[in-house]
Amino acid sequence: MTSGWNDTTPIYLQLKDRVIGMMLDGVLKAGDALPSVRQVAAEYQLNPITVSRAYQELVDDQLVEKRRGIGMYVTEGASEKLLASERERFLREEWPALLERIRRLGLNLDQLMRSTPSANGGAA
Amino acid sequence: MSAVIAARGLTKRYGKNTAVDHIDFEIPAGRIVGLIGPNGSGKTTTLKAALGLIPFEGELSVLGKDPRTERDALMEDVCFIADVAILPRWLRVRDALDFVEGIHPRFSRAKAEAYLARTKLGADQKVKQMSKGMIVQLHLALVMAIDAKLLVLDEPTLGLDIMYRKQFYQHLLEDYFDEGKTIVITTHQVEEVEHILSDLMFIRDGKIVLASTMDEIGQRYTELMVGPDKVGAANALGPIDKRTVFGKSVMLFDGVPRAQLDVLGETRNPSVADLFVATMKGMYA
Repeated sequence: MTSGWNDTTPIYLQLKDRVIGMMLDGVLKAGDALPSVRQVAAEYQLNPITVSRAYQELVDDQLVEKRRGIGMYVTEGASEKLLASERERFLREEWPALLERIRRLGLNLDQLMRSTPSANGGAA
Repeated sequence: MSAVIAARGLTKRYGKNTAVDHIDFEIPAGRIVGLIGPNGSGKTTTLKAALGLIPFEGELSVLGKDPRTERDALMEDVCFIADVAILPRWLRVRDALDFVEGIHPRFSRAKAEAYLARTKLGADQKVKQMSKGMIVQLHLALVMAIDAKLLVLDEPTLGLDIMYRKQFYQHLLEDYFDEGKTIVITTHQVEEVEHILSDLMFIRDGKIVLASTMDEIGQRYTELMVGPDKVGAANALGPIDKRTVFGKSVMLFDGVPRAQLDVLGETRNPSVADLFVATMKGMYA
Protein backbone atom coordinates (compact mmCIF):
# COMPACT_ATOMS: atom_id res chain seq x y z
CA MET A 1 0.00 0.00 0.00
CA THR A 2 2.97 2.28 0.42
CA SER A 3 5.17 2.58 -2.53
CA GLY A 4 3.80 1.39 -5.83
CA TRP A 5 5.61 -1.83 -6.66
CA ASN A 6 4.79 -3.29 -10.04
CA ASP A 7 3.46 -6.82 -10.49
CA THR A 8 5.80 -7.95 -13.20
CA THR A 9 9.15 -8.10 -11.38
CA PRO A 10 9.96 -9.62 -7.99
CA ILE A 11 10.02 -6.91 -5.34
CA TYR A 12 13.59 -7.59 -4.24
CA LEU A 13 14.74 -6.77 -7.76
CA GLN A 14 12.65 -3.61 -7.79
CA LEU A 15 14.16 -2.59 -4.47
CA LYS A 16 17.63 -3.33 -5.82
CA ASP A 17 16.88 -1.13 -8.83
CA ARG A 18 15.78 1.68 -6.56
CA VAL A 19 19.06 1.56 -4.67
CA ILE A 20 20.94 1.45 -7.98
CA GLY A 21 18.91 4.44 -9.15
CA MET A 22 19.98 6.34 -6.03
CA MET A 23 23.61 5.45 -6.75
CA LEU A 24 23.35 6.62 -10.35
CA ASP A 25 21.68 9.85 -9.25
CA GLY A 26 24.44 10.44 -6.73
CA VAL A 27 22.08 10.28 -3.75
CA LEU A 28 24.14 7.36 -2.47
CA LYS A 29 27.87 7.84 -2.91
CA ALA A 30 30.91 5.63 -2.32
CA GLY A 31 31.34 5.05 1.39
CA ASP A 32 27.73 5.97 2.25
CA ALA A 33 25.88 3.64 4.58
CA LEU A 34 22.70 1.92 3.44
CA PRO A 35 19.81 1.98 5.91
CA SER A 36 19.45 -1.22 7.93
CA VAL A 37 17.32 -4.09 6.67
CA ARG A 38 14.97 -3.46 9.56
CA GLN A 39 14.53 0.22 8.70
CA VAL A 40 13.85 -0.48 5.06
CA ALA A 41 11.44 -3.31 5.90
CA ALA A 42 9.52 -1.01 8.24
CA GLU A 43 9.53 1.97 5.89
CA TYR A 44 8.38 0.07 2.81
CA GLN A 45 6.38 -2.55 4.76
CA LEU A 46 8.28 -5.46 3.29
CA ASN A 47 9.33 -8.78 4.71
CA PRO A 48 12.92 -8.43 5.98
CA ILE A 49 13.89 -11.42 3.82
CA THR A 50 12.92 -9.43 0.73
CA VAL A 51 15.14 -6.56 1.81
CA SER A 52 18.03 -8.87 2.69
CA ARG A 53 17.79 -10.47 -0.70
CA ALA A 54 17.96 -7.12 -2.48
CA TYR A 55 21.00 -6.19 -0.40
CA GLN A 56 22.62 -9.54 -1.09
CA GLU A 57 22.22 -8.95 -4.83
CA LEU A 58 24.00 -5.62 -4.43
CA VAL A 59 26.79 -7.35 -2.52
CA ASP A 60 27.06 -10.00 -5.24
CA ASP A 61 27.37 -7.24 -7.83
CA GLN A 62 30.08 -5.66 -5.65
CA LEU A 63 28.17 -2.40 -5.46
CA VAL A 64 27.80 -2.68 -1.73
CA GLU A 65 29.98 -4.25 0.94
CA LYS A 66 29.14 -5.69 4.29
CA ARG A 67 31.21 -4.32 7.13
CA ARG A 68 30.94 -6.80 9.91
CA GLY A 69 28.76 -5.68 12.76
CA ILE A 70 28.11 -2.20 11.37
CA GLY A 71 26.17 -2.53 8.15
CA MET A 72 26.23 -2.10 4.42
CA TYR A 73 28.24 0.52 2.58
CA VAL A 74 28.46 1.63 -1.03
CA THR A 75 31.79 0.41 -2.40
CA GLU A 76 34.47 2.60 -3.94
CA GLY A 77 34.01 2.53 -7.66
CA ALA A 78 30.37 1.44 -7.45
CA SER A 79 29.14 4.31 -9.61
CA GLU A 80 31.81 3.73 -12.29
CA LYS A 81 30.91 0.07 -12.33
CA LEU A 82 27.23 0.94 -12.61
CA LEU A 83 27.77 3.43 -15.38
CA ALA A 84 29.74 0.85 -17.31
CA SER A 85 27.09 -1.82 -16.88
CA GLU A 86 24.23 0.61 -17.56
CA ARG A 87 25.95 1.74 -20.77
CA GLU A 88 26.41 -1.84 -21.78
CA ARG A 89 22.77 -2.61 -21.00
CA PHE A 90 21.59 0.43 -22.93
CA LEU A 91 23.54 -0.62 -26.00
CA ARG A 92 22.31 -4.19 -25.71
CA GLU A 93 18.64 -3.69 -24.78
CA GLU A 94 17.42 -0.14 -25.27
CA TRP A 95 19.42 1.04 -28.26
CA PRO A 96 18.30 -1.69 -30.69
CA ALA A 97 14.66 -0.95 -29.81
CA LEU A 98 15.23 2.78 -30.16
CA LEU A 99 17.01 2.28 -33.47
CA GLU A 100 14.15 0.17 -34.72
CA ARG A 101 11.70 2.92 -33.81
CA ILE A 102 13.84 5.58 -35.50
CA ARG A 103 13.90 3.45 -38.64
CA ARG A 104 10.16 2.91 -38.55
CA LEU A 105 9.52 6.62 -38.21
CA GLY A 106 11.86 7.24 -41.14
CA LEU A 107 14.03 9.70 -39.25
CA ASN A 108 17.49 10.30 -40.66
CA LEU A 109 20.68 11.23 -38.88
CA ASP A 110 20.52 14.82 -40.03
CA GLN A 111 17.05 15.36 -38.53
CA LEU A 112 18.10 13.70 -35.30
CA MET A 113 21.22 15.81 -34.95
CA ARG A 114 19.27 18.98 -35.63
CA SER A 115 16.93 18.10 -32.76
CA THR A 116 19.73 17.35 -30.32
CA PRO A 117 20.33 20.42 -28.15
CA SER A 118 23.92 19.71 -27.15
CA ALA A 119 25.14 18.69 -30.61
CA ASN A 120 26.60 21.41 -32.88
CA GLY A 121 25.80 24.18 -30.46
CA GLY A 122 22.09 23.62 -29.88
CA ALA A 123 18.85 22.82 -31.61
CA ALA A 124 18.03 24.55 -34.82
CA MET B 1 14.59 -25.92 15.60
CA SER B 2 11.41 -27.79 14.73
CA ALA B 3 8.16 -26.15 13.71
CA VAL B 4 6.77 -23.38 15.90
CA ILE B 5 3.26 -24.65 15.24
CA ALA B 6 2.56 -28.15 13.91
CA ALA B 7 -0.98 -29.39 13.39
CA ARG B 8 -2.04 -32.82 12.29
CA GLY B 9 -5.67 -33.71 11.86
CA LEU B 10 -6.66 -30.65 13.87
CA THR B 11 -10.44 -30.64 14.15
CA LYS B 12 -12.91 -28.50 16.04
CA ARG B 13 -16.63 -29.12 16.13
CA TYR B 14 -19.20 -26.80 17.56
CA GLY B 15 -22.19 -29.12 17.90
CA LYS B 16 -23.00 -30.43 14.43
CA ASN B 17 -20.95 -27.73 12.79
CA THR B 18 -17.32 -28.52 11.93
CA ALA B 19 -15.40 -25.26 12.17
CA VAL B 20 -11.98 -26.78 11.51
CA ASP B 21 -11.87 -30.01 9.58
CA HIS B 22 -8.77 -32.24 9.89
CA ILE B 23 -6.19 -29.69 8.95
CA ASP B 24 -2.44 -30.28 8.74
CA PHE B 25 0.13 -27.51 8.65
CA GLU B 26 3.54 -26.52 9.93
CA ILE B 27 4.91 -23.09 10.61
CA PRO B 28 8.69 -22.85 10.94
CA ALA B 29 10.45 -20.20 13.07
CA GLY B 30 11.25 -16.77 11.72
CA ARG B 31 8.22 -16.57 9.44
CA ILE B 32 5.45 -14.07 9.07
CA VAL B 33 2.44 -16.14 8.10
CA GLY B 34 -0.83 -14.79 6.80
CA LEU B 35 -3.84 -16.95 7.63
CA ILE B 36 -6.46 -15.69 5.23
CA GLY B 37 -10.05 -16.81 4.82
CA PRO B 38 -13.62 -15.55 4.59
CA ASN B 39 -15.68 -14.92 7.69
CA GLY B 40 -16.52 -18.18 9.43
CA SER B 41 -13.86 -20.20 7.60
CA GLY B 42 -12.09 -21.34 10.76
CA LYS B 43 -9.22 -18.85 11.11
CA THR B 44 -9.97 -17.67 14.61
CA THR B 45 -10.89 -21.19 15.75
CA THR B 46 -7.49 -22.42 14.57
CA LEU B 47 -5.74 -19.63 16.46
CA LYS B 48 -7.81 -20.23 19.57
CA ALA B 49 -6.81 -23.88 19.50
CA ALA B 50 -3.15 -22.92 19.17
CA LEU B 51 -3.47 -20.57 22.12
CA GLY B 52 -5.09 -23.23 24.28
CA LEU B 53 -8.34 -21.31 24.53
CA ILE B 54 -10.58 -24.12 23.32
CA PRO B 55 -10.54 -27.91 23.40
CA PHE B 56 -10.04 -29.67 20.05
CA GLU B 57 -9.44 -33.02 18.42
CA GLY B 58 -6.29 -34.11 16.62
CA GLU B 59 -2.69 -33.19 17.25
CA LEU B 60 -1.41 -29.71 17.77
CA SER B 61 1.98 -28.70 19.06
CA VAL B 62 2.96 -25.11 19.70
CA LEU B 63 6.65 -24.50 20.48
CA GLY B 64 6.81 -28.19 21.28
CA LYS B 65 4.02 -27.97 23.84
CA ASP B 66 0.43 -29.15 23.91
CA PRO B 67 -1.77 -26.08 24.29
CA ARG B 68 -4.44 -28.15 26.07
CA THR B 69 -2.25 -29.26 28.94
CA GLU B 70 0.73 -26.88 28.97
CA ARG B 71 -0.98 -23.58 28.42
CA ASP B 72 0.67 -21.74 31.32
CA ALA B 73 4.19 -22.62 30.21
CA LEU B 74 3.27 -21.85 26.63
CA MET B 75 2.00 -18.39 27.42
CA GLU B 76 5.48 -17.31 28.50
CA ASP B 77 6.52 -17.55 24.89
CA VAL B 78 3.33 -16.63 23.08
CA CYS B 79 1.65 -13.24 22.73
CA PHE B 80 -1.71 -12.47 21.28
CA ILE B 81 -3.55 -9.42 20.01
CA ALA B 82 -7.16 -9.81 18.93
CA ASP B 83 -9.58 -7.32 17.57
CA VAL B 84 -12.04 -8.55 20.15
CA ALA B 85 -9.58 -8.33 23.05
CA ILE B 86 -10.94 -6.05 25.68
CA LEU B 87 -9.08 -4.02 28.25
CA PRO B 88 -11.16 -2.93 31.25
CA ARG B 89 -12.39 0.63 30.75
CA TRP B 90 -11.14 1.84 34.13
CA LEU B 91 -7.59 0.61 33.50
CA ARG B 92 -4.88 3.28 33.34
CA VAL B 93 -1.80 2.91 31.16
CA ARG B 94 0.30 2.67 34.31
CA ASP B 95 -1.91 -0.10 35.73
CA ALA B 96 -1.60 -2.08 32.53
CA LEU B 97 2.21 -1.91 32.74
CA ASP B 98 2.13 -2.88 36.43
CA PHE B 99 -0.11 -5.80 35.67
CA VAL B 100 1.90 -7.27 32.83
CA GLU B 101 5.14 -6.66 34.71
CA GLY B 102 3.66 -8.60 37.60
CA ILE B 103 2.55 -11.64 35.63
CA HIS B 104 5.03 -11.92 32.76
CA PRO B 105 8.63 -12.91 33.45
CA ARG B 106 9.83 -11.68 30.08
CA PHE B 107 8.23 -8.26 30.01
CA SER B 108 10.51 -5.23 29.73
CA ARG B 109 8.80 -2.22 31.25
CA ALA B 110 11.48 0.08 29.85
CA LYS B 111 10.73 -1.13 26.33
CA ALA B 112 7.01 -0.61 26.74
CA GLU B 113 7.54 2.87 28.15
CA ALA B 114 9.92 3.79 25.36
CA TYR B 115 7.31 2.73 22.85
CA LEU B 116 4.52 4.59 24.63
CA ALA B 117 6.66 7.72 24.74
CA ARG B 118 6.32 7.86 20.98
CA THR B 119 2.53 7.91 21.23
CA LYS B 120 0.14 10.40 22.75
CA LEU B 121 -0.74 8.02 25.55
CA GLY B 122 0.01 9.27 29.05
CA ALA B 123 0.63 7.06 32.09
CA ASP B 124 -2.58 8.23 33.78
CA GLN B 125 -4.83 7.83 30.80
CA LYS B 126 -7.70 5.40 31.21
CA VAL B 127 -8.84 2.97 28.54
CA LYS B 128 -12.24 4.64 28.43
CA GLN B 129 -10.56 7.88 27.33
CA MET B 130 -8.80 6.19 24.43
CA SER B 131 -9.77 5.88 20.79
CA LYS B 132 -9.70 2.47 19.16
CA GLY B 133 -6.34 3.28 17.60
CA MET B 134 -4.90 4.25 20.99
CA ILE B 135 -6.11 1.01 22.58
CA VAL B 136 -4.29 -0.92 19.88
CA GLN B 137 -1.17 1.17 20.55
CA LEU B 138 -1.38 0.25 24.21
CA HIS B 139 -1.81 -3.41 23.33
CA LEU B 140 1.12 -3.25 20.97
CA ALA B 141 3.30 -1.54 23.58
CA LEU B 142 2.56 -4.35 26.04
CA VAL B 143 3.07 -7.12 23.53
CA MET B 144 6.19 -5.78 21.84
CA ALA B 145 7.89 -5.41 25.21
CA ILE B 146 7.54 -9.14 25.80
CA ASP B 147 10.33 -11.21 24.34
CA ALA B 148 8.01 -13.92 23.03
CA LYS B 149 8.76 -16.48 20.36
CA LEU B 150 5.33 -16.46 18.78
CA LEU B 151 3.04 -13.52 18.21
CA VAL B 152 -0.52 -14.18 17.09
CA LEU B 153 -2.45 -11.28 15.59
CA ASP B 154 -6.14 -11.79 14.90
CA GLU B 155 -7.44 -8.93 12.75
CA PRO B 156 -5.09 -6.57 14.57
CA THR B 157 -5.87 -3.49 12.51
CA LEU B 158 -9.60 -3.93 12.05
CA GLY B 159 -11.40 -0.61 12.31
CA LEU B 160 -8.20 1.44 12.50
CA ASP B 161 -7.55 4.37 10.21
CA ILE B 162 -4.80 4.20 7.64
CA MET B 163 -2.20 6.01 9.78
CA TYR B 164 -2.62 3.65 12.71
CA ARG B 165 -2.56 0.65 10.40
CA LYS B 166 0.65 1.66 8.70
CA GLN B 167 2.27 2.54 12.01
CA PHE B 168 1.24 -0.79 13.47
CA TYR B 169 3.14 -2.84 10.90
CA GLN B 170 6.01 -0.38 10.86
CA HIS B 171 6.62 -0.80 14.57
CA LEU B 172 6.22 -4.51 14.31
CA LEU B 173 8.91 -4.75 11.63
CA GLU B 174 11.25 -2.18 13.05
CA ASP B 175 11.14 -2.85 16.76
CA TYR B 176 9.89 -6.37 17.21
CA PHE B 177 10.36 -8.91 14.48
CA ASP B 178 13.61 -10.83 14.02
CA GLU B 179 14.53 -14.25 12.68
CA GLY B 180 14.00 -15.85 16.08
CA LYS B 181 10.39 -14.74 16.23
CA THR B 182 7.34 -15.93 14.38
CA ILE B 183 4.22 -13.95 13.61
CA VAL B 184 0.85 -15.36 12.55
CA ILE B 185 -1.62 -12.78 11.23
CA THR B 186 -5.23 -13.13 10.20
CA THR B 187 -6.67 -10.21 8.32
CA HIS B 188 -9.14 -9.25 5.65
CA GLN B 189 -6.90 -6.43 4.57
CA VAL B 190 -4.61 -8.66 2.54
CA GLU B 191 -3.20 -5.95 0.31
CA GLU B 192 -1.77 -4.26 3.35
CA VAL B 193 0.20 -7.26 4.59
CA GLU B 194 1.03 -9.09 1.41
CA HIS B 195 4.60 -7.84 1.08
CA ILE B 196 5.27 -8.37 4.76
CA LEU B 197 4.34 -12.05 4.68
CA SER B 198 6.83 -14.82 4.09
CA ASP B 199 4.11 -17.49 3.96
CA LEU B 200 0.48 -17.64 3.03
CA MET B 201 -2.30 -20.00 4.11
CA PHE B 202 -5.81 -19.85 2.71
CA ILE B 203 -8.54 -21.47 4.74
CA ARG B 204 -12.00 -22.22 3.44
CA ASP B 205 -14.83 -24.13 5.10
CA GLY B 206 -12.47 -25.33 7.82
CA LYS B 207 -9.92 -26.72 5.38
CA ILE B 208 -6.60 -25.34 4.24
CA VAL B 209 -6.83 -24.83 0.50
CA LEU B 210 -3.45 -23.25 -0.04
CA ALA B 211 -0.29 -23.23 2.05
CA SER B 212 2.88 -21.98 0.51
CA THR B 213 5.77 -19.56 0.85
CA MET B 214 5.35 -16.26 -0.94
CA ASP B 215 8.33 -17.20 -3.12
CA GLU B 216 6.64 -20.38 -4.29
CA ILE B 217 3.44 -18.47 -4.93
CA GLY B 218 5.34 -16.01 -7.10
CA GLN B 219 6.68 -18.90 -9.12
CA ARG B 220 3.52 -20.97 -9.24
CA TYR B 221 0.87 -18.44 -10.19
CA THR B 222 0.82 -16.18 -13.20
CA GLU B 223 -1.85 -13.85 -14.43
CA LEU B 224 -2.07 -13.50 -18.19
CA MET B 225 -3.83 -10.81 -20.17
CA VAL B 226 -4.56 -12.25 -23.56
CA GLY B 227 -6.18 -10.85 -26.71
CA PRO B 228 -9.05 -12.62 -28.53
CA ASP B 229 -6.72 -14.19 -31.11
CA LYS B 230 -4.83 -16.23 -28.53
CA VAL B 231 -7.61 -17.05 -26.09
CA GLY B 232 -7.91 -20.57 -27.49
CA ALA B 233 -4.24 -21.32 -26.96
CA ALA B 234 -4.39 -19.87 -23.45
CA ASN B 235 -7.53 -21.84 -22.58
CA ALA B 236 -5.77 -25.03 -23.64
CA LEU B 237 -3.25 -24.47 -20.81
CA GLY B 238 -6.03 -24.79 -18.24
CA PRO B 239 -6.47 -21.46 -16.42
CA ILE B 240 -7.89 -21.80 -12.90
CA ASP B 241 -9.78 -18.53 -13.23
CA LYS B 242 -10.96 -16.23 -16.01
CA ARG B 243 -12.43 -12.78 -16.31
CA THR B 244 -12.75 -10.20 -19.05
CA VAL B 245 -11.46 -6.63 -18.97
CA PHE B 246 -11.81 -4.25 -21.94
CA GLY B 247 -12.33 -7.15 -24.34
CA LYS B 248 -9.20 -8.91 -23.17
CA SER B 249 -9.29 -12.08 -21.13
CA VAL B 250 -7.46 -12.13 -17.84
CA MET B 251 -6.58 -15.67 -16.84
CA LEU B 252 -4.94 -17.08 -13.78
CA PHE B 253 -2.63 -20.07 -14.16
CA ASP B 254 -1.23 -22.41 -11.56
CA GLY B 255 2.05 -24.12 -12.37
CA VAL B 256 2.29 -23.15 -16.04
CA PRO B 257 5.84 -21.92 -16.79
CA ARG B 258 6.01 -18.14 -17.21
CA ALA B 259 7.90 -18.46 -20.51
CA GLN B 260 5.03 -20.43 -22.01
CA LEU B 261 2.57 -17.66 -21.11
CA ASP B 262 4.79 -14.73 -22.07
CA VAL B 263 4.33 -15.56 -25.75
CA LEU B 264 0.53 -15.36 -25.43
CA GLY B 265 0.24 -11.93 -23.88
CA GLU B 266 1.11 -9.76 -20.91
CA THR B 267 1.99 -11.62 -17.73
CA ARG B 268 2.22 -10.45 -14.14
CA ASN B 269 2.20 -11.79 -10.60
CA PRO B 270 -1.33 -11.96 -9.25
CA SER B 271 -1.86 -10.13 -5.98
CA VAL B 272 -2.87 -12.09 -2.91
CA ALA B 273 -6.33 -10.54 -3.29
CA ASP B 274 -6.59 -11.91 -6.86
CA LEU B 275 -5.56 -15.35 -5.67
CA PHE B 276 -8.00 -15.18 -2.81
CA VAL B 277 -10.90 -14.31 -5.07
CA ALA B 278 -10.03 -17.14 -7.46
CA THR B 279 -9.61 -19.66 -4.64
CA MET B 280 -12.82 -18.71 -2.84
CA LYS B 281 -15.04 -18.75 -5.93
CA GLY B 282 -18.46 -20.10 -5.19
CA MET B 283 -18.18 -19.29 -1.50
CA TYR B 284 -20.42 -16.29 -1.70
CA ALA B 285 -22.76 -17.40 -4.47
